[in-house]
Amino acid sequence: MSESSKSKSLNLNPSPTLQCKDLHEYLKSRSPQFLETLYNYPTICLAVYRELPELARHFVIRLLFVEQPVPQAVVTSWVSQTYAKEQAKACTTLSELSVWQEAPIPGGMPGWMLAQSFKKNLKVSLLGGGRAWSMSSSLEPDGKARDVSFLDAYALERWECVLHYMVGSAQTEGISADAVRILLHAGLMTRDAEDGSAVITRAGFQFLLLSTPKQVWLFLQHYLHTAERRSLSAAECLAFLYQLSFSTLGKDYSTEGMSNNMLVFLQHLREFGLVYQRKRKAGRFYPTRLALNILRVRCAAPLEAAAGARGHLVLETNYRVYGYTSSDLQVALLGLFTELIYRFPNVVVGVVSRESVRQALRGGITAEQIIHYLEQHAHPQMLKSETGGIRSASMLPPTVVDQIRLWESERNRCVYTEGVVYNQFLSQADFVVLRDHARAAGVLSWQHERARTMVVTRAGHDDVKKFWKRYSKNS
Amino acid sequence: MVNVMKGVLVECDPAMKQFLLHLDETLALGRKFILQDLDETHLFISADIVETLQARVDDLMDQLSIPVHDKGL
Repeated sequence: MSESSKSKSLNLNPSPTLQCKDLHEYLKSRSPQFLETLYNYPTICLAVYRELPELARHFVIRLLFVEQPVPQAVVTSWVSQTYAKEQAKACTTLSELSVWQEAPIPGGMPGWMLAQSFKKNLKVSLLGGGRAWSMSSSLEPDGKARDVSFLDAYALERWECVLHYMVGSAQTEGISADAVRILLHAGLMTRDAEDGSAVITRAGFQFLLLSTPKQVWLFLQHYLHTAERRSLSAAECLAFLYQLSFSTLGKDYSTEGMSNNMLVFLQHLREFGLVYQRKRKAGRFYPTRLALNILRVRCAAPLEAAAGARGHLVLETNYRVYGYTSSDLQVALLGLFTELIYRFPNVVVGVVSRESVRQALRGGITAEQIIHYLEQHAHPQMLKSETGGIRSASMLPPTVVDQIRLWESERNRCVYTEGVVYNQFLSQADFVVLRDHARAAGVLSWQHERARTMVVTRAGHDDVKKFWKRYSKNS
Repeated sequence: MVNVMKGVLVECDPAMKQFLLHLDETLALGRKFILQDLDETHLFISADIVETLQARVDDLMDQLSIPVHDKGL
């Protein structure tokens, strides 16, 4: 066998997309021990329960008051054969989240049993009992009570501060070293090699175009990852976050009875705008919409809409974009994928050009993200306007949307996959054996039977080579 | 006996493949880089040329594109 080139790993498709996990995906990625600790908090049990698939919720309720393992065959019999697929999915979800465990039943049958702590604490959250929420203890009415619109505005302002810092606006006030550390840790920003200042990364650009609840959740996930280093328990923080997400907007809660660690955590949340506190020692805090929406990453109403700020972008068929905004952040975001040509106090005018879109694509932003951003921030006027008889689901001009997609696909006219070519087989039988082996292993990228040529992926090469050696020795 | 070569599998449309063949024949990248011509839409090329090739394809696309809008400055 001859090896024509050194093994060097090439980065052929350099556009990793930013992963935004929901609660379940996040929990699945953690260790069972961590989950075990989490299930000591009734709020988390309730949150996990609410996010389960419908069938899985059904199973949990049926098993909740059973004190012994239930045979797996019995669980299977609860669902008719037609829905076997849904049932299997529900079962794997429950296992992956360690909500139930396999437990043997006398007689050797495999059975299921709900995790003890989960069972106990879900009962508490559904039926009451247990310790009362420390933060709901009665408070004197706040002399300076804040209403919902104030909280929304506050949350938006705080969060924009973080985003603002990311787009590299000079304004660095209002963001702590801690927040910067999280951004660096999350890979959203990186230290510049020369002067050590933080600069935004490819993933950071994608982060900016996500919806606010997704941003917050992603940010908090990374916060929790680094929590241990700050001697905060990730489980305790997560439990507190979920407690917040079950609270009422516009109501104040007491900080009484909270541990020191949680008070520190509260200050961090205050910095990002998840809670509002008039003073550090005020003894009370108001959760904001950012905190309430953590649970609903998938379908949360955008904060901007709630805060009364409507979309501000008008996209015309001649590729021009008008942004009715005075926010530096919005202008900077628009500048990620448009060429800005005029800037007025409350309007910015740009043009979507091939160069500017390619610039964004090179930065790792996808066409879909650009289009989604434009849609999400479309000016109300855009909703009214006609699309010129062309029926489309989007309110954006189809010409521009298509062109943005074309600009993206033009960069991917060739698909490169590293691989190894096998040719010059002596017999057809040899070829077929080796091809079928590679196909069964899922490493075959291309084959042509008449030319007796096949290509396997780089990863599968070693396995196929071994197989071939064994095979040719035997024959 | 079987012959084995490492490289990169390229999948593209037939027109693009002809362009790559043309680059190979005219030594536009300084040397031959196609290890094997597989079929209408597949080529097998040497791995170390990929970056140069990608830049070259980008250049081609730049030449092909016509600005569809005017800035109206």
